[in-house]
Amino acid sequence: MNPSPPPPRDPDLLEEALGLGRGGSPPWRLAFVEDCVETSGAFVLHHFLKRALSTEGDGTVVFLGLAQPFSHYDRVLRKMGCNLSVQRNKNKLHFIDLLNLEFLGERRLSNEKGENDIEIGFMDLYNRILRSIEAIRSKDYNGGWTTIIIDDLSHLEIAAHGSAKHVLDFLQYCRSLTSEMDCSLVILNHEDIHSSDEALQMLSHLDYISDILIKAETLSTGIAADVHGQMTVIIKDAPGGLIKKLHSFQFKVKENGVEFFYPGSRF
Amino acid sequence: MATAADGRLQGARSANTSSFSRARSSPSAVLPSPPNPGVKLGPNGATFVSSGIPDLDRILGGGFLLGSLVMVMEDADAPHHLLLLRNFMSQGVVHRQPVLFASPLRDPRAFLGTLPSPVSSSKEHRQRDTLVDHNQQDQEKGLRIAWQYKKYFGDQQSSQNHNRDVKQEFSNDFDLRKALERQHVQYIESMSIQDIPHLTILRDRCSNFLSGLPRSDGGNLSAGRIAIQSLCAPQCGYAEMDWDLVAFIRFLRSIIRSSNVVAVVTFPTSFLLPAFLKRWQHLADTLLSVRAIPDEDKDMAKLLTGYQDMLGLLHVHKVAQNNSQVPTVLEASTFSLKLQKRRSLVLERLNQAPVEASSGTSYSTSGTCSGPSKGSSLDF
Amino acid sequence: MAESISRSLRDGCLEGEHAPALTIEDSLACPLGSHVFDHFLANLASQIADGTSQARGLVLVALNRSPSFYIDLLRRKGVDASLVDKWVRILDCYSDPLDWKDRIPPLMNVQKPSTRENVSFFRDVRDINKLLSSVLDLGKGFVGQGKTRFAVAVDQVSNLLRHTSLPSVAGLLNNLRSNDQISCIFWLIHSDLHEPRVSTALAYVSTVVASVQPIMQLTDEHRSRRDFLWLEKNSCKAKFYVRLKRRNGRVKLLAEELHMDQVGVKFAAVTSENSFVNKSLLPKVQFNLQLSDQERVDRAKVVLPYEHQGNGEAIQIYDGRRSLSDDQKDPHLVQPSTFSVMTDAQATSGNGEIHYIRDSDDEQPDSDEDPDDDLNI
Repeated sequence: MNPSPPPPRDPDLLEEALGLGRGGSPPWRLAFVEDCVETSGAFVLHHFLKRALSTEGDGTVVFLGLAQPFSHYDRVLRKMGCNLSVQRNKNKLHFIDLLNLEFLGERRLSNEKGENDIEIGFMDLYNRILRSIEAIRSKDYNGGWTTIIIDDLSHLEIAAHGSAKHVLDFLQYCRSLTSEMDCSLVILNHEDIHSSDEALQMLSHLDYISDILIKAETLSTGIAADVHGQMTVIIKDAPGGLIKKLHSFQFKVKENGVEFFYPGSRF
Repeated sequence: MATAADGRLQGARSANTSSFSRARSSPSAVLPSPPNPGVKLGPNGATFVSSGIPDLDRILGGGFLLGSLVMVMEDADAPHHLLLLRNFMSQGVVHRQPVLFASPLRDPRAFLGTLPSPVSSSKEHRQRDTLVDHNQQDQEKGLRIAWQYKKYFGDQQSSQNHNRDVKQEFSNDFDLRKALERQHVQYIESMSIQDIPHLTILRDRCSNFLSGLPRSDGGNLSAGRIAIQSLCAPQCGYAEMDWDLVAFIRFLRSIIRSSNVVAVVTFPTSFLLPAFLKRWQHLADTLLSVRAIPDEDKDMAKLLTGYQDMLGLLHVHKVAQNNSQVPTVLEASTFSLKLQKRRSLVLERLNQAPVEASSGTSYSTSGTCSGPSKGSSLDF
Repeated sequence: MAESISRSLRDGCLEGEHAPALTIEDSLACPLGSHVFDHFLANLASQIADGTSQARGLVLVALNRSPSFYIDLLRRKGVDASLVDKWVRILDCYSDPLDWKDRIPPLMNVQKPSTRENVSFFRDVRDINKLLSSVLDLGKGFVGQGKTRFAVAVDQVSNLLRHTSLPSVAGLLNNLRSNDQISCIFWLIHSDLHEPRVSTALAYVSTVVASVQPIMQLTDEHRSRRDFLWLEKNSCKAKFYVRLKRRNGRVKLLAEELHMDQVGVKFAAVTSENSFVNKSLLPKVQFNLQLSDQERVDRAKVVLPYEHQGNGEAIQIYDGRRSLSDDQKDPHLVQPSTFSVMTDAQATSGNGEIHYIRDSDDEQPDSDEDPDDDLNI
């Protein structure tokens, strides 16, 4: 809403780092966005969302909104020049509102297959993703790339009552989707909530299955008006594999987009 | 919800013209106040209610956002979080907004007896409010006018006018020495969370509170407030319930997100595992913390101006950014909690004390976040 | 060495013995384990295709990567596709490990991924017994009953461990090993996803443990797993440590260097560091601190240098060249000032001496005075 100048024509460092070709399929399948309390990484999701739904690419998105309602994203993206309501009507965006998601259970005894409410809940969630992809690909499907975005993995953990195993099972199914359905997965997660040993294992698990890590951190000097934080993009040669490339730059989040720049190049 | 509320308010706006408008930094935010003085429109379709501390409202860019979760990390020793809770609830009472109060106290009603009542000379403060963003010179002139005004009318405007007067304010100063009258407080719904082993009861109370809110009040946007004191305090008996607690917070966050309610939850940090503390912080839309200030610390007294008057420190970690991706960058994030004229709470930016024997007045004048909080200029 | 591992996988097992089992372990500090796994998988597959190995087929339990990935991989590594179809069976535990897909309504309009003949689904990874019998059934399916054997590869044990307990996984691997139709078995585990006892348990049931470790040892500082810059430096190379339990009861410890390139991993001999490995093999050798009686008596006889003998004889100062026991009482030695001043006569008796002549008389022999005292720099 602020009357800000048109986005600068700086090279988009994030785009460059991710190696996304215009419209085509990205060279990766599973990207994790990691942030911390001080610096939210949600803007990276907005970036992906906008990119996938931009007119140039005919991509489609299945969005699992656990942390924020649709109205939030609608407003944010509108300021970036992307109307989510229209995209939703055009069957290019499926927003699954999971703000109230909770797999109440665990207190119930597992059935003979060792399942409980949590697993059934995740199965249902997986089913909803599948249905969304199905709906997207049913009519007027032009073969565009589908991106599944999960806006906060930690909320899934909370819904699962801290059962990392179930979350990982769910992610396993999402992974299998990426190869079966030709889509990619972008997941926001908080790095700083994993401090205990057990939780670190969770983070390691995620490391093993992801092929891109995007980390948003604060500068050691704290947040400033001109530099909101620092971003590290780690590209691996395979899920859990070696680091092929490592990009590091700083960013400033604005209403209509994000500016990326190399440290010191702005002043 | 935001769009709906937006439209409703804009419709209502044309019918009512407000007596005054506030100047705000963002041009898009220049909207006339809605007819309900308890709520105020902000940028990004957001709606604010007051925290009950005018300075805090200003720092946060307008107040607490409706639909947001405000979390306050308590100090282990000092009860400053109670100051925030009291003012928050009193402001709700003044605006006749429904309030739900949950506390680990055996008798939460007793605590409600300590809610502060608004400072009666509200004209003066309102005047000040409108002028805060103007330059210093204007402000002083304005204040002089206000004093005059007060001289002639202030005393006559006694308690019967007082209520009407107070209602027009978005935020009030509260007199911590004067308790709110019982008949006002009785509308606050309160519950004790002591010895309640399951959070389901608290959940139910919260969702009942939300469903009991009037959807709209004759074109007015009505807001509600939930105040939860010391969630996860040991006397609540929530040991080994880390995931239940964090699930409750997520639940609370999700139900208020689509409503016109703001929830303030204070919690002691020392009882949480570090990983869970981070989770709690992530769940907060607005994250504040209060800290005690060491008593009679000579070094600090030398270092900070106004050390003698400080009650404690307030730190702003995160400001709610609903409907926006831009983080709020504050000029300063740590403020000192002070009592102005020994009765109402003000927040000031921490300032380094001028080096002795140098005049250094420029330091303190430019630095304070609210000009009038320099007590001396207001004392008459 | 990598070759000897390949060889032992190829050669399989002797009648009546357990099949050789290889554990490959890695960690995030050096996540090359899957490449190493791929290397041995491709090697073994081509040996099976050539008919040079004991195993007549390969059952791959795919938990971590999709079957199509492996089919691709083998083709990339130059194994004939038709032979892959013929000799490799993949048990797909990747796509639907918990049997969700059957319990949700089938998808309309979306074309199912084509299933290949040599890929079969396994939908219940919690049931280890079922997994065991599925693997055996698959193997028997293409090598038939009788004496012919097949190889088994499990692409990631870590995933299995999430669903079942350590004893049941170890039990599964052991059962496979001891099955008389199995020629060899190997698996990969990410050691940092589990407690240390998991790796040791798996090492216990295996004959070869190959662990991929970073070239530089992790310090605690680096152990905060996110030290990426450091990781990057370390990434293309790794140490490859092999612990090979030989049939004769000996343990062979080997170290190699592992290089990563476009094609895959390559192994190279380490230049000088074998000694480093072998150190850990040596049993701890201790000093003998106890003396026998004879030794104690002998020790008592030793006359220590600079020691007053105390038996009425003249003071003897040991000059470092002569043992006092040879009874040569040199008159010079009695004089304390001459212990370091050598006469020519003495000099002839030894080969190397230090000749020392006092500067002046005011320097006391053996004085503490600093000879450089008067130096003024």
